[in-house]
Amino acid sequence: MRETLDARVRDVLVEPACAQNVAKAPDERAKGCTKALVPGAAAGGCAFDGAKIALQPIVDAAHLVHGPLACEGNGWDNRGAASSGSKLYRTGFTTDLSELDVVMGHGERKLYRAIREVIETHAPPAVFVYTTCVPALVGDDVAAVCQAAAERYATPVIPVEAPGFVGSKNLGNKLAGETLLKHVIGTVEPEEPGLTDVNIVGEFNLSGELWQVKPLLDRLGIRILGAITGDARYRQVAMAHRARVTMLVCSKALVSLARKLEERWDIPWFEGSFYGIEDTSNALRTLCGMLVERGAPGDLVERAEVLIAYEEARTWAALEPYRPRVAGKRVLLYTGGHKTWSVVAALQELGMEVVGTSVRKSTESDKARIKEIMGDDTHMFENMAPKDMYRALKAAEADVLMSGGRSRFVALKSRTPWVDVNQEKHEAYAGYVGMVELVRAIDRAVNNPMWADVRAPAPWDEGFQPRSVSADPLHVVGSDPSDFEDC
Amino acid sequence: MPQSDDKVLDHAKLFQEPEYAAMLEKKRLDYECGHPDDMVREIADWTKTWDYREQNLARTALTVNPAKACQPLGAVFAAAGYRGSMSFVHGSQGCVAYYRSHLSRHFKEPVSAVSSSMTEDAAVFGGLNNLVDGLANTHALYAPEMIAVSTTCMAEVIGDDLNSFIQQARGKAAIPDEMPVPHAHTPAFVGSHVDGYDNMQKGILEHFWESAERNAGDGLNIVPGFDGFAVGNIRELRRMLGLMGVEATILSDVSDVYDTPSDGEFRMYAGGTTKDEVKAALDARATLSLQEYCSRKTLDYCSSKGQETRALHYPLGVAGTDELLMTVAEFTGKPIPESLRLERGRLVDAMADSQSWLHGKTYAIYGDPDFVYAMARFVMETGGEPRHCLATNGSKAWGKKMRSLLDGSPFGQQCQVWPGKDLWAMRSLLVTEPVDLLIGNSHGKYLERDTGTPLLRLNFPIFDRHHHHRFPLWGYQGALNALVQILDKIFDRLDAETGTLGETDTSFDLTR
Repeated sequence: MRETLDARVRDVLVEPACAQNVAKAPDERAKGCTKALVPGAAAGGCAFDGAKIALQPIVDAAHLVHGPLACEGNGWDNRGAASSGSKLYRTGFTTDLSELDVVMGHGERKLYRAIREVIETHAPPAVFVYTTCVPALVGDDVAAVCQAAAERYATPVIPVEAPGFVGSKNLGNKLAGETLLKHVIGTVEPEEPGLTDVNIVGEFNLSGELWQVKPLLDRLGIRILGAITGDARYRQVAMAHRARVTMLVCSKALVSLARKLEERWDIPWFEGSFYGIEDTSNALRTLCGMLVERGAPGDLVERAEVLIAYEEARTWAALEPYRPRVAGKRVLLYTGGHKTWSVVAALQELGMEVVGTSVRKSTESDKARIKEIMGDDTHMFENMAPKDMYRALKAAEADVLMSGGRSRFVALKSRTPWVDVNQEKHEAYAGYVGMVELVRAIDRAVNNPMWADVRAPAPWDEGFQPRSVSADPLHVVGSDPSDFEDC
Repeated sequence: MPQSDDKVLDHAKLFQEPEYAAMLEKKRLDYECGHPDDMVREIADWTKTWDYREQNLARTALTVNPAKACQPLGAVFAAAGYRGSMSFVHGSQGCVAYYRSHLSRHFKEPVSAVSSSMTEDAAVFGGLNNLVDGLANTHALYAPEMIAVSTTCMAEVIGDDLNSFIQQARGKAAIPDEMPVPHAHTPAFVGSHVDGYDNMQKGILEHFWESAERNAGDGLNIVPGFDGFAVGNIRELRRMLGLMGVEATILSDVSDVYDTPSDGEFRMYAGGTTKDEVKAALDARATLSLQEYCSRKTLDYCSSKGQETRALHYPLGVAGTDELLMTVAEFTGKPIPESLRLERGRLVDAMADSQSWLHGKTYAIYGDPDFVYAMARFVMETGGEPRHCLATNGSKAWGKKMRSLLDGSPFGQQCQVWPGKDLWAMRSLLVTEPVDLLIGNSHGKYLERDTGTPLLRLNFPIFDRHHHHRFPLWGYQGALNALVQILDKIFDRLDAETGTLGETDTSFDLTR
């Protein structure tokens, strides 16, 4: 099993469709995009976690974690991926391996029985079985057990081989994509394939974001055939190979999946984003254009333009009341590239000043676009180390930081309002309505009176000087910018 | 009948059993001759309209569900904070039973107070004999160190002169010469419990100070005011003073007598301000009141003795606590220590952490004038918007003070202030101009049920939830406590709204 896993890991780390990877020198590329972890430095989640969060939104499947309790205990229901139907994905199933299981080698038997019990008690359309470090080290043949169980109980039992030690969370995302390709996609044929069926890949319906976009697709008559994996049903994922176009949302992690869908089933794909007004419009435009090229009715493009014009006008009207409340505020944007430039454009339109933006994971054309919008590239940066971010915020170079949860405390400790724009947020910012929600969140963050209390010294200190808590209050945080990377 | 000795049902369940339900329904039909259901519904709906609200708010003679209590309740509360003190209420005994049960139901402690048990005879011939006998019996039966005399309406209407009566009692040797018997006239038909508190405090100070000589020193007296959270608050106050190294005299400390341990000993008296402390308090540099509307006469009196005085409005929240600490620092010259600065930082950190859940939430707040002021101020500090601030015992002057507080923040602009209004008025306000949260006391539970507005019980009386008064609302710790209660209410509500299995639970999230 180790060889095949190694091979698979190597395979996903040299993705030819990844612009970043392709841009590397040949010898660099040969190493793949793996990033050596630094022992002792803070690091993010493991491959198991990455695989779990990528597949967990398949809501009607049972997700069974083969390992000691903590892997599922910690990973259980930990993201707000919303479901419009089954809630089975929220139930934590695990084999809860104990010392005796490890010593006596009972893991495989226990797993087999666990699969049986899950199927008998819940009758799920499929069981995803996640391998964790302990059974991988012990040498449990999880794939064989899954195969035997699948045959015995006539239910797909899919081994997800991404034990934590193989690498990062991002790698786990990729391995999850590979798992779907290997075991799921193409196993079910849709009853009525349509000319406007699409795949949405890399959208996980966090806080119900997909539902802010789906009505737009509904109105255009576009069906999400393959949802990977936001609000997905198992059969939906299994039918993804019959979609006409794949839209890859926000994801370098699943780019291989999109590419292989094209290689195997001739499904053309594009990268798009539902963050920001213009990006949303462009995504709809591209999606419709590509569908028409593949034989959808030609008026789809015009209908899309009508919808876009209507939605854009409506959104700007809804944003207008916020203008006086947010105009003049300086924003530091620290997020993935896909959601950058169109958000920048909208914020500027509302009179906000974007004092800096990361262009991580942005493509060259994204960067060019940002440069065009912002005038020059002096405020664009790839990564920002926590201490640099702290310094910038401390020097009051921005009124609000928009970023993922990991830099939240840099903002709060530098007494700067913060808006969560990454996966653990509790509000949905996708699509046109999402932009209104985002501006509302900015308004709420920068105009909350609590900031006055946070920023002001205690009032009994007239000549208050910020105390010098060692020169660098974040010295305990590693200065590796990648510490703050999301997903 | 569903009730049987095998399984005895509690009344909460018993009357929902079909046999009882049918019996009650039959009784309603056969004997009550009620209005048809649709008419009842129609009228109920009408009571939730603006039309009804206008008539409701125009009421001048009738008060419905007043959010206030009477003077002697405040007087009994104030007296309880002095060591070995027994409240003696001159008047009818029924009133005193109310104060005892009120305080007892709130604090979950036995509350001792006696009356002169005036009857019809006393009303006709005057209450002198009752007072003299009463003082003698109180001394004999309960061995207090001090007897604090206040009055019910009955004694006030017939015009009994407490001062003269107490002199006569002493003349008749009803009580030992050294027994202090301070007194205050506390007619229930004037003001409310906050005034009774004020009058009793002043009466006690007068008793000890009037014939004494003041040698101005640098001490500090603190008058906490009538407060349902006194147990937690006064302990928190003492803790903060301890951190500052300040030894202040708290004039009326009920934190021990209203929170006695269960260790096999009954304590009719526990803790409290001692006689020596009260006497020495005359020499203090200043007296600080933590609730202005509970202490106006008391502070005037302190001022007349040459002390500096200052009054705050219930030190809850960031600025409220800042004010308290800075005032104490100013009067005592003691700096505010680092540890309190850290607590302040932790409080604002918590506010920052939860900001997105608090911002823009709307509130209706009712209670005593100082509490409403403080709560509205704290709510605005979190980005919340008070919409209705109501104090049945609030004056027009209080209304103006509230207005200037609210006008000072963009979050108070839409708030309306309702001095003198009652809880039935609050009902109309809540149905016509709804808010996210209602802050009040147990009496608000009917408003919660009627209007669907979630209720936070943060002031006296709290009868139907236990032990909250043991935790502070004052200080940074207290604000944190209040903050957590507000957030819990918001999250519980959200969980309930998203919690119906298979219907509304798409957002029944583990992490919020």
